[in-house]
Amino acid sequence: MESLLQLMQGFATVLSPYNLWMATVGCFLGTIIGILPGLGPSATIAMLLPLTFGMDATPAMIMITCLYYGAKYGGSTTTILLNVPGEGSSVVTALDGYQMARQGRAGAALGISAIGSFFAGIVGTFGLIFICVPLAEFSLKFGPAEYFSLIIMGMLTIVFVGGRSISKSLMSGILGLALGTVGSDFVQGAPRFVYGFPMLMEGVPFVAVVMGMFGIGEVLVSAEDRMKLKPIKVKFSQLWPSVADVLESKWAIVRGTVIGFLVGALPGAGATIASFISYGIEKGVAKNPERFGKGAIEGVASPESANNSACSGAMVPLLALGIPGSGSTAVMLGALILYGLKPGPMLFQTSSGFVWALIASMFIGNVILIIMNLPMIPLFAYSLRIPYGLMYPGIILICIIGGYSLSTNIFTVWLVIFFGIIGYIFKKCDIPGAPLVIALVLGPMMEYALYQAMNLSLGDPLTFVTRPISGVLLGIAALMTIAVTFKTVRMKRAMLEEEDDD
Amino acid sequence: MTPGQKENIMRKADKIFGSVCFGISLWLILEGLRWDYTAGFTPGPGFLPFWLGVILGLFSLSLVYNAFKREAAKDDYKKIFPEKHALYRVGLILLIFAGFAIVVETVGFELTVFIFVALILTLLEGYKIGKSIFYGVAFSGSLFLIFRYWMEIELPSGFLGY
Repeated sequence: MESLLQLMQGFATVLSPYNLWMATVGCFLGTIIGILPGLGPSATIAMLLPLTFGMDATPAMIMITCLYYGAKYGGSTTTILLNVPGEGSSVVTALDGYQMARQGRAGAALGISAIGSFFAGIVGTFGLIFICVPLAEFSLKFGPAEYFSLIIMGMLTIVFVGGRSISKSLMSGILGLALGTVGSDFVQGAPRFVYGFPMLMEGVPFVAVVMGMFGIGEVLVSAEDRMKLKPIKVKFSQLWPSVADVLESKWAIVRGTVIGFLVGALPGAGATIASFISYGIEKGVAKNPERFGKGAIEGVASPESANNSACSGAMVPLLALGIPGSGSTAVMLGALILYGLKPGPMLFQTSSGFVWALIASMFIGNVILIIMNLPMIPLFAYSLRIPYGLMYPGIILICIIGGYSLSTNIFTVWLVIFFGIIGYIFKKCDIPGAPLVIALVLGPMMEYALYQAMNLSLGDPLTFVTRPISGVLLGIAALMTIAVTFKTVRMKRAMLEEEDDD
Repeated sequence: MTPGQKENIMRKADKIFGSVCFGISLWLILEGLRWDYTAGFTPGPGFLPFWLGVILGLFSLSLVYNAFKREAAKDDYKKIFPEKHALYRVGLILLIFAGFAIVVETVGFELTVFIFVALILTLLEGYKIGKSIFYGVAFSGSLFLIFRYWMEIELPSGFLGY
């Protein structure tokens, strides 16, 4: 009941003209940038972050949340009309979405994707409220030792579940932790890895890293060739899916929503795994599974619902524990810190008005997006016809502005360029960038928790295993490590045996 | 490119990445040793860099070892290094980008944006000079209105005062 009351207050905040305008702008820009091939939500948020500079925390985070959802909606358009998924979670949508578009049912595919995403976004946000509040209350029991163990467990989950190559994901994470050590340390104030650059005393600016890695890095990969896009045309008359389409997809949407939310709430699992699982389940329960891959509407409805409710799910660890579960939520965490907010359970205590406004903005954002998307799909699809050659200079310039305005110093722009090159190399070598970004945000928190825990225990490292919650969290991390190592060794043995047989 | 060359590309990338990370790990260890390992009851400033260096070193060696040892997998056939023309495009973008960072504080933001956009469109996208100039002015004007005028963000002002 108390939550409901606070949610209502959140709605009152979001529905003020200025905040509503920011939500609308966020949804619109998120969709427009999210539509660009190759640019997922992480890149979209990173690039458009500078637009929020100068705002108060509440309208800024409302805009960022709406950018996040808008980018998700936009990504579906590119996937369906171009067969170019903007991110991992849209890959599976392309299987049936593009086939539907080729069969002249692009409008139905885009419409059902918008309807599914809307339903999933709303239900997912309710799920977030029900889980987030008790989880945040429980995590109030956490001390520094528990936080340290939680961060270790969270980071290992991200590496084990999210990445394709565990060793590369781990190395990316360690590089992120190492970057997090740049600047003066907590205990002695010793300048580490500063090398005479006073700008680095406060650490490597997070925004410069994400804009470089996700923004410039993506642009460089896309700009390797002159991109000529030929999206399938959508007519205004074809926009709405028929009643039969909606009825056919209704259970697919419900199943996708539930799976998406549960999977999305796990750190590292995220929208990509959610969309693949939901597609697999949908195919499994279908009466005619052979239709899948040939333009089955459930093959669009389910993964699209799953990847949108996974967005709400991913907000659970972020808001309740201060642990981002994906690249996008890591960027959001960075933005929260930038606005002077300390994510985690105390956020509900110290800035409850802000948190509930943020949650309310998820509802409002989804409503704006469905209103905006259904009638404006042809317009958004038309933006795919704008030459990419005109788009990427704009993206680079926004990243430059973002870098410069952080500190009004050109040094940050050089950092954006540097991390852009690193992001490009990472992309080319199949090294996931998200673990680096997540570790960069969590690293200083982890180090601080380590210092505090060791201080409180008078230097006894056993405090991490003797405190029950901390011990359980480390136990889970250890079990995951053993399970993954065991699985890797078994797979390698099987491969060797296969080679011997040959 | 022959299949043999393609086969080695991803493994070569792993070897290079592993070696670079191994170098970084040594650097982390050496730098970590320069600072105190402990400070009273707590770890000192050298603790984390040292151990991150050790762990990164172990994983780097394992990546390099595996890249030498393993048979070529499906992913290894993927082309990752850009063709010459792609490398030229990426290199030129970075060069123009770096040029931007060098001159922006002297020339001013709006004028540099104009030059930046016009150069990219002419040299990389094959636009005619007139069109490039038009888009350069459009970009420069839009960014001025959005960021300097509307959002009041402080941007570098050059000899012209803006």
